Amino acid sequence: MEDVLNTQFVKLKEAMDNLFELKSSGHVSDFKQSSGALMFVALKHSNREVKRNIKSGRDELHLQKSKVDLSRLQLQNLLYEVSHLKKEIVRCQKLKSRDTYLELLSDKEYASKFSANGEEMNSDMSSHKTHLYRLECELRLRKELDSQYNALLTSKQELLQANLSQTQRYLSFAPALRTLQDSTKPLHDALQLSLDVEWKLNSIVKYLPRALYILFINLKSLQRAKEFPFNSEIVGFENDAQMQELLLDTENTLKERRNFAEKSNVMESVPDNLLGRLLKPHPLYISLVIESPDKSSELILLIRYWELLKCVTVRAQFSNNALTNNAQGDINLANDLLAHLYDDDLGHDIPVPGIEYEVTQLQFNEEECMEYLVKNGYGKPYCWLQSMCSIATIDKKKFFKHELNLHKWIIEVFQRISKRWRSWLRLNQQIRGLTYKDVDMYTLRENIYPEGLSCSLVQWTAISHEEFNIQNSDLLNNLSPANGITYTSYRAVIVRGSAKMECFIRIPSNYPLEIPLWILSVHWNGRHTAMNNAAIKMMEFWTNSLRPKQLEKNHRLLYSQLFRTIYSFDIFLETEGAMQATREYNKEKPYISTFTKRIRLRPYKYIRKGSMYTFKQ
Amino acid sequence: MKERDLKRAYNNVLAQAISTSQKYLFAGNLFGDIFVLSLKELDKCTEEPPSKLQVFKQGSDVDINCLAFHRDFLIVGAIGIIYGLPWNEEEQTLSPKRAWEIKIPMPVDAVEVPDVNSLWVCSETDTLYAGCGDGIVYQIDLEDGRIEREYRGHTDYVHCVVGQADGRLYSSGEDGTVHFWSDKQKEPLSILEPHKNRQLLRPDWGKWIGAVSVNDDWLICGGGPRPAIWHLRTMEYTRAFDFPGPVHVCDFVDDSVLIGGEHNHVQFYTLNGSLQANIPVENTSSYSSVWQTNPFNFMSIAGFSNKLHILKDFRFLDSKIELYGNVQDEDDVDNDGGKQEQEDEDLSF
Repeated sequence: MEDVLNTQFVKLKEAMDNLFELKSSGHVSDFKQSSGALMFVALKHSNREVKRNIKSGRDELHLQKSKVDLSRLQLQNLLYEVSHLKKEIVRCQKLKSRDTYLELLSDKEYASKFSANGEEMNSDMSSHKTHLYRLECELRLRKELDSQYNALLTSKQELLQANLSQTQRYLSFAPALRTLQDSTKPLHDALQLSLDVEWKLNSIVKYLPRALYILFINLKSLQRAKEFPFNSEIVGFENDAQMQELLLDTENTLKERRNFAEKSNVMESVPDNLLGRLLKPHPLYISLVIESPDKSSELILLIRYWELLKCVTVRAQFSNNALTNNAQGDINLANDLLAHLYDDDLGHDIPVPGIEYEVTQLQFNEEECMEYLVKNGYGKPYCWLQSMCSIATIDKKKFFKHELNLHKWIIEVFQRISKRWRSWLRLNQQIRGLTYKDVDMYTLRENIYPEGLSCSLVQWTAISHEEFNIQNSDLLNNLSPANGITYTSYRAVIVRGSAKMECFIRIPSNYPLEIPLWILSVHWNGRHTAMNNAAIKMMEFWTNSLRPKQLEKNHRLLYSQLFRTIYSFDIFLETEGAMQATREYNKEKPYISTFTKRIRLRPYKYIRKGSMYTFKQ
Repeated sequence: MKERDLKRAYNNVLAQAISTSQKYLFAGNLFGDIFVLSLKELDKCTEEPPSKLQVFKQGSDVDINCLAFHRDFLIVGAIGIIYGLPWNEEEQTLSPKRAWEIKIPMPVDAVEVPDVNSLWVCSETDTLYAGCGDGIVYQIDLEDGRIEREYRGHTDYVHCVVGQADGRLYSSGEDGTVHFWSDKQKEPLSILEPHKNRQLLRPDWGKWIGAVSVNDDWLICGGGPRPAIWHLRTMEYTRAFDFPGPVHVCDFVDDSVLIGGEHNHVQFYTLNGSLQANIPVENTSSYSSVWQTNPFNFMSIAGFSNKLHILKDFRFLDSKIELYGNVQDEDDVDNDGGKQEQEDEDLSF
C-alpha cells in the first residue's frame, strides 16, 4: 500500500516539479495541468483502497483476537475443572464408611439368622457386596429390635399405669378398713388380739437397698411370729447411706461429661483400685444371728448387697459362748454349712441373669469380681440367699428361679441350716469322742451286739488328704468327681490280738448329703485290702453301704459305721484260717454257716429278732 | 457315698451266660442287675466304641448267684429259687415277668434258705442240674419243672456242678470234696479229696473246692487247695498248677487250662502245667468265665469289679467293658438315686 501511495506521490511530485518548471519557464500547458489533476484522482483512489485494506485488516485482527479470548476462557475452565476434580478425588479418598464403627453380628450368628436369605445370594458376590448386604440385614434387624423395644416400653408403661390404678383402688379401701378396725376394737380386746401394735422400724430401714429391705421386713415378721429363734439387725450408719447416694449422683454427672476414650484410659491405668471403688457394698448390711441347736454358740450371717453385681453375699462367722479352741475349724464349718446347703449351689459365680454382660461392659470379668469378694471376706452369692431376698437367679444348669413365697422359703432355709448344723455338731461330738477316747464303746447305743466287742479301737487321728489318697483303692477310682466338696480324713486303728486293721475315713464337707467313706486295710499275715482280698472288699462294702435311713432313732452315723466295721473285722478274723493247726481266734459270734455262696461270703449282717440275735450273710 | 458310686465300686459279678444264638452275653451281679451285651459290637473291627449295655433289674433283694441259658430262656439261680426269664432276641428285651419258678425244697427245721450256687444244663436231655447251699445237687426236668432227683453226699454247700452228656456228673463243695455221680447209681461213683494230698493243701485258704471242669479223660479242680489236673480213671493227679491264690474258676479252653480266682491275674496253663498266658484283670477275685469259638473266638471274665474282661484270642486281654456307668438310659437311674439322697437328708442323725 505504501508502495502504491509512494509511487503516486512520486509521480505527483514529478508532475508538480514539471509544472513548476514549466511555470517558472513560463510555459503553461493545460495538458499537463489536467494530467496532474487526474493524478490526484488516482491518489484518492489509492488512498481509499489503502483505507479499505486497513479496515479489513483491523476487522480480521479483531476476529482473531476474539477467537484467542475464547480458547483462553476454555482453558481457564478446564483448569478449574481439573482442580475441582482433584479436590473431589482427595475427598473421595478421604471418604470412609462409618459402618466400621458398627458392631455387626458375628459370622456364625449371621449365618444362622439369615441363612434363608443367604441362599439367594450369589456365591460369587464380591466381598464388598456381601458386606453391603450384611449391613442391610443388620439395619433390618436393628429396626426390628427397635420396634420390639418400643413395644416393650409401651407395655411397661401400661403395666405401670395398671399398677398405679390398682394401688389407687387399694388405697381407697384404707379409710373403710380403718373405720372397721376402730369399730371392732372391743372385739379385738375381748379376743386378746393385738392388731394395733405399731411396727416400730428404725428410720434407717428406709435407706436399705430393695433386696435387703425385703429380707429385713420378712425377717422381722418371722421374728414376731416367733417360729424360729433368731435375731436380725441392720448394721451401718444413715449418714453413710446418704453419703453414698450423693456420691453416686455426682459420679453419674461426671461420667456423662467424660467422653468415651478418656474413660477407657482411666480404667486401664488403675484396674485394681477401680474394682475396689466400683465394687463397693452398700454401707448398710444385715446381721443375722442364729442360735445353735444346743444353745452353745451363735452363727452370725452378715448379708451385704452389691449395687453393681445386683446380688447379695453372705459371710458366716461363729461366736462361741463356750470353748473357742478351734476358730479356723469353726469358720470352715460355717462355710461348708452354707456352701452345701443345697446341691450344686456352691456360690462360685454370680447367679444373676445377664450379670456377665454387665460386668464385661465395665471391663471386668466375673472371676475377678468373685475373687475380690472372697479375698475381702465378703462371702459368696449363693442362690438360696438371692431367693431369700427375692432376687431372680439362674444357676449353672440355666435353671431360672424367682422365689415369691419368701416367708416359706426363709423358714425352709433356716430349718435346713439348723438341721445341718445339728448333724455337724453331732458329727464333731463323735469325732471328738473318738479322738480323745472319752466315749465308752461298750455302753454306746450303737453297740448293737450285747456280748461286746473283741476288737478295740486304739487310735483315731486326723490325717492329711494326701495320706488318704495314697490308699490305692479301687473305690477312689470309681467315685464320681468331687464337685467342690472338700474332705477331712481320719485314720483309725483297730486291734485284736496280733491282727491290726487300719481304717481310713473320709468325711465330706457336704455331710450329711454324703456320708463318710471308709477304706479298710488289714495287717495280719500280710496286708489285705479291697484290692487283693475279696473278703475285705465285702467288709468295706458292708461298712460303706450303711445308709442313714437304716439307722435306728438317736443312733449316730459315725459310731454305727465304726461298730459295723469292728463286728465285720471280728467275724473276718473268726472265720479266717480254718485249716490252720492253731487258731488264733475262736468263734465267738453266733452264726450258722461260716461261708455261703461261691464267693465264700462271711456272715457280716447282724440280724435281731426279739431277744435272739445272730449274724448272717 | 452315693448309691451309684457304691454300686460302681462294689459291683460283684458272679455269673455270666451266652445266649443260644451266641449273639448276646448276660452278666448278673449281687445287686440284682442283669447286664446284656451284644457280642456283635465286639466282633466288628471298627474303632468306634461299642454301644452301651442294657440292664434288667431283678430287684435289690435278688442275689444273682448263677446264670444259664437254654433255648430262649435265661435261667437265673438266686436264693432258694431258680427262675426262667424269656429272652426276646428280636426286641432284645428280657421279660420282666418270670416264665417259671422252681423253689428249692427246704426241710421244716431249716434255718437258712439255700443259695443256688451253680447251674449246669444238659441240652440233650433238657435237664438242669443245680448245686445248692444245702449241699444237694438237684436234677430238674426243664419240661415240667419237676425235681427228678437229689444227689446227696456233700456235707457242706456245693460250689460247682458240671456234667457230661453221657450222664456223668461232677460236683465240688465247701467240704473239700469232688463227688463223681452217675444218673444210674444212687451213691457217688467216687469221691476226690484234694486237701488230703500234702502237695496240694494250702492251709491258709482251707480245703474247699471252688471250681471243677472235665473233658473226656481229665478233670481239673481247685479252690483252697492248689488247682491240679486229675486222670478220671486212675483218680491220680498228674500235674498241679502254680496259681497263686484261691481258685474260683477253672476250665478247659481249647487245649489249655484256664484258672482264675482271688488274684489280680487270670492264667492259662498247658496240660502239663507250664504257664502259657498271664492276663491282668481288675477283679479283686474272678468268679466267672464264659467263652465260645463259633462264630468267632470270644471270652469274657468277670468278678468282683465293675468290668468285664474280653479276650478274643485267649492269650491277651482285648478290652475291658465297664458295667455301671456304661448302661443305656442310666440318667433315669441316677435321678432315682438323687431322690433317694434327698430323702436321706431330711433325717437328722
